[in-house]
Amino acid sequence: MYKAIIADDEKELRTYLKSMLQEVWPELIICGEAKNGKETLELVESKQPQIAFLDIRMPGLSGMEVAKKIAGLCRIVFVTAFDQYAVEAFEKEAVDYLLKPVSKERLIQTVQRLKNQLDSSIEPPARLAEFVEQVLSKLPGRGGSDFLRWIKTQDKDSIRLIPVEEADYFKAEDKYTLVITKEGESLIKKSIRELAQELDPAQFWQIHRGTIVNVSKIDKVSRSLTGRGMLKLKGRPELLTVSRNYLHLFKQM
Amino acid sequence: MILSTVIAAFLTFTGITTKSFVINLIVSQSFGVSMYSIIHFLLWIFKPERMVSLIFIVIIGIVSGTLIGLQMGSFALHQIFSVTLMQQQKSLFRAIVLAITFGSVISYLFYSRFRLRASEEVIQQERIKRLSSEKEALEANLRLLQAQIEPHFLFNTLSNVLSLIDTNPTNGKSMLVDLIHYLRTSLSRTFPDPITLDQEIDMIKAYLNIQKIRMGERLRFKIELPDAVRTHPFPPMLLQPLAENAIKHGLEPKMEGGEITIKAVEKDDLIRIEVMDTGLGFSSFQKVGVGIGNVRERIKLLYGEKGRLILEENDPNGVRAIIEVPKHDVQSHHC
Repeated sequence: MYKAIIADDEKELRTYLKSMLQEVWPELIICGEAKNGKETLELVESKQPQIAFLDIRMPGLSGMEVAKKIAGLCRIVFVTAFDQYAVEAFEKEAVDYLLKPVSKERLIQTVQRLKNQLDSSIEPPARLAEFVEQVLSKLPGRGGSDFLRWIKTQDKDSIRLIPVEEADYFKAEDKYTLVITKEGESLIKKSIRELAQELDPAQFWQIHRGTIVNVSKIDKVSRSLTGRGMLKLKGRPELLTVSRNYLHLFKQM
Repeated sequence: MILSTVIAAFLTFTGITTKSFVINLIVSQSFGVSMYSIIHFLLWIFKPERMVSLIFIVIIGIVSGTLIGLQMGSFALHQIFSVTLMQQQKSLFRAIVLAITFGSVISYLFYSRFRLRASEEVIQQERIKRLSSEKEALEANLRLLQAQIEPHFLFNTLSNVLSLIDTNPTNGKSMLVDLIHYLRTSLSRTFPDPITLDQEIDMIKAYLNIQKIRMGERLRFKIELPDAVRTHPFPPMLLQPLAENAIKHGLEPKMEGGEITIKAVEKDDLIRIEVMDTGLGFSSFQKVGVGIGNVRERIKLLYGEKGRLILEENDPNGVRAIIEVPKHDVQSHHC
């Protein structure tokens, strides 16, 4: 007798998969249902199922992250509505996956594959963990990126969110930093040094000890008589100084 | 050169001067060449931007060109024909008057040709500007079309309907009705006629109803739409991405879920619509979604500086997205 759990944040979809499984594999015991990543982990621990059907998108820990933790403990079948990359990757690695809405024919195949693996007592693939890691890193838009994307600024009694692309430039102001956008300026409690490390260097250039500019907003740079550069931004009257250390950024192509 | 030749011929044949064509030609060439080169030299050096300085340069050019031209001309004539222009008071005076007259007329001709070309350039630039803004609008529309129906949403919804057919046909039916409403409006509104605010809100309601069945207790929503703004014209698919964001990034990934509130109010000349959620909120390192970028761009295209999208942190958690658009002056033709 084999035991399985179903993890999906949508109740209807759990119910649906359960009834389909009962139809195509009546001997299988569905020993638990989980509606988020945390519950899934708890279930795997307490019920020790041989099989886990995991939805890829779940609140808390995603199905992928859960898989990383339980790889080697049970066999995993991913269930997803539309994750092209994941699907492609799994096809290559022969870990099974199901597309929602799950069709009966496809489920029968999966069940057959599971039965074969379980009956021949092949160990669950432990290297799934590292493989999942690879897939996770390939998925677009999942998790955060490495660079700062939003700036939070205090605006009267609310905190405003500004996408970094909208900043024209940043100017050091004591240990804080002034963000200058088309709509005005606001102070953020981050030093220019911290910002320089968090911003995408392809999009933002430091041109002076106290200045970081948005590259896409640069209009032109001209050399002053003293050898420093004067930088003009599109749609802004002020000229910013480029100190000698950073002039190499503007060498002609 | 050509003009000077023409002038020489003109002078000879009209009999204004009694000299031969060759002499007239030499004199008018020397005037013409010196004026032309002096004016161009001065323009090149000073690059005048104001009308006054331009006129000043032209006058200096004509006068000094006349003097230099006179010297050159008489020198040439003296060398070749042993004719001394300088000694004949009357013809000297006449030469100067003619030089200044023709010089002014020709300068004016050049100037107006330049003006004409400049204004053509302005027209050209205007045209380029208009075309590129039309192109931007079209691109925004295209992106809108690509972004609006998320396959994940569509397949999840259909899976739910499939399941509900067995377990709860009434719910399944209403979910399908909402999906049809949502698809019909979002698909047909991509190259749209202006719609009213309550039409847009209606489709958001359909969208949220669907999400409500999917997420169950984890999603609550509230819509406050006063009668005064109900029939106000509003660009389609401007609010929907905000509601979608609130679900996708705010509430769906949050374990306990939360609430979405959509509120519209009149404020002076503006309509202000807030979409608030109590979800996870934006992390500083999260990518700016395509949806948000699109909304911002479309507001800019439709209203310029008069409309805007503000994103704020909601209290105590989540995001508050605020759209402000002018009450009148909706240019819904482009977008």
